[in-house]
Amino acid sequence: MPMNYRDLFSGIAFLIIGTATAWMGKDFYADAAYVPIGAGALMGLFSLPLIWRSSVSILTSRATSQPVMALVDHPGRFVATLACCLVYYVALPSVGFYTTSALFILLLALVLGERRPLVVLGITLGFITLLYGLFAVVLKRPLPVEFFLAY
Amino acid sequence: MFASLFQALPVALQFGSLISLVVGTLAGILIGALPGLNPVMAIALMLPLTYGFDPIIALGLVAGIYNGSMYGGAIPAILLKIPGTPAAIATTFDGYPMTRNGQGGLALKTACWSSAVGGIVSALALMTLAPMLARVTLAFGPTEYFWVAIFGLVSIAVLVGKDISKGMLAALLGVIIGLVGIDAISGAERYTFGTLYLVGGFELLIVLIGLYAVPPVLEMAEKRNESYFNADSFRVTASGGSLGLLRRHWKTWSRSSLIGVAVGILPGAGGNLAALLSYNEAKRRAPDPDTFGTGNPTGIAAAESGNSADNASAMIPSLTLGIPGNLVAALVLGALMIHGLQPGPQLFTRSPDVVFGFMWQMLLTAMLLLLLGGMVATRLFAQVLRMPTALLVPTTLVLMAVGVYTVNGNVMDLYVMLAFGLVGYLLNRLAFPLAPVVLGVLLGPMAEQNLRLSMLISQNDWTTLFTRPISQGIIALLALVLLSQLWKALRSRRQSQHRGI
Repeated sequence: MPMNYRDLFSGIAFLIIGTATAWMGKDFYADAAYVPIGAGALMGLFSLPLIWRSSVSILTSRATSQPVMALVDHPGRFVATLACCLVYYVALPSVGFYTTSALFILLLALVLGERRPLVVLGITLGFITLLYGLFAVVLKRPLPVEFFLAY
Repeated sequence: MFASLFQALPVALQFGSLISLVVGTLAGILIGALPGLNPVMAIALMLPLTYGFDPIIALGLVAGIYNGSMYGGAIPAILLKIPGTPAAIATTFDGYPMTRNGQGGLALKTACWSSAVGGIVSALALMTLAPMLARVTLAFGPTEYFWVAIFGLVSIAVLVGKDISKGMLAALLGVIIGLVGIDAISGAERYTFGTLYLVGGFELLIVLIGLYAVPPVLEMAEKRNESYFNADSFRVTASGGSLGLLRRHWKTWSRSSLIGVAVGILPGAGGNLAALLSYNEAKRRAPDPDTFGTGNPTGIAAAESGNSADNASAMIPSLTLGIPGNLVAALVLGALMIHGLQPGPQLFTRSPDVVFGFMWQMLLTAMLLLLLGGMVATRLFAQVLRMPTALLVPTTLVLMAVGVYTVNGNVMDLYVMLAFGLVGYLLNRLAFPLAPVVLGVLLGPMAEQNLRLSMLISQNDWTTLFTRPISQGIIALLALVLLSQLWKALRSRRQSQHRGI
């Protein structure tokens, strides 16, 4: 998507956020409303030049001078990484921190194209041992308990 | 106040502090050496781990990571032409050609010495200028602090990035994020949507990790799985003595360090600007400017001392006024707040051991670079470039998860971190600068509380904001920043029209 379209959409998004912030802020108690209204109004105000410039640029079919970076470079890997993260966060409380983390590293490394089993296993094992040493032994931080120790 | 500085030296030399300095510097060099990871991300990840530590130990780690990563960024810049940190871009200009000429050893040694010298000069500037500025700021009241916060926020919003409106929108987004939760003065809920999770507001650290650490990891995940290791680059020959370096580069180091210190004090200007300005100045003054870019060690000396001299000096406005000069300085403010310390001039009288101890730590870590960044160690650190990105991504994500989880022991924080990560990724792709968002979260509440306090004291007389002399001075400075940016924008538009673009 060209940069001027991105600017137009982001400008509109900021206008909506700004207006909503100011609108909701007007109901706050006394001086607690000053900054919410001010920040919301300013956001709306600063989104206008962005909307104006991008609209003019689109209407005159003029390309912006800014270099255009793809919104997502590799959608497959991007979505797979996010999906793995979500599964990791969902499983964390019930499966346990160290087990889930080890499985997460193995799975995501595989998804991202690492095909050397010894390297993956070695780094995973070393990394989890390091985390255990740091969090369980040194810092004694409470982390989600492993499922096989919970009963 | 300088007596407090010397009294804090034993604090910085405590066993725990020294260990944190060594660990932080080693971790910093390793992180800096890995392209894709940056000091901001490293410090943000490390902060949750320091909750239970003494503040001086936590700040020791921050100082070590900061100074260490600035040198670490030079390792891949010299060996592989890949800047480990954005500030190391100028180091690639002469660093990589030197490696190709078989002078990699000399290039790394020059970078290490230059980083150390830049860091030492910067720490000395922090030690001398910050206490003086803190004394001046004791005369500040809520009105002045309101304007200081506005100045920090607006100047960074307009100076970072190319588009003023985008910078301002990013800063305002940060301010709005900072509004969520219970209002500290009236006790009323704001933007909580009846959700219990939002009542406490967004934890600064979670916002920071989400905005700064998640997007680079997502970008790394999108690239092909490969390690940065290149066997040819590691065939480096040994270099000459250190005394020869001192004789050859002392002028460049002095000049570049001063440039770095000046750039560091300015809000919004980062290490990469300091390095580029220093490099250009060294080239301009050199008798052989044509050799720059083909493997001239003076180019490395200028770039590395310039970018490291920015480090401690960026802390001057943060520690004295509470306005961070760059993102690492913002994180240092976060670290202080996590440990219950309020940045500003009172910090110098209430917790002199911590603030002056931190200054010593910045100096000590710059010196440590000479010990820890030697040739053998550097070659060892360079081995981290063997780590394939497909393994670097999940291990970094696990580190983030454990760091964020330990803040409150709440899994919900992980989802919030990921959401902020996506926002950061998107803003990055839409060419919005991220630094003003973080500063908005930090400075927004400061501006609001001081504004409301001013109104309370003056019984809602708005003119009080504009009548005090110090406030007028800050407003004049703010107007100067805005007008200079406006003039720059107009000039650039006129030039492009002139060229017919």
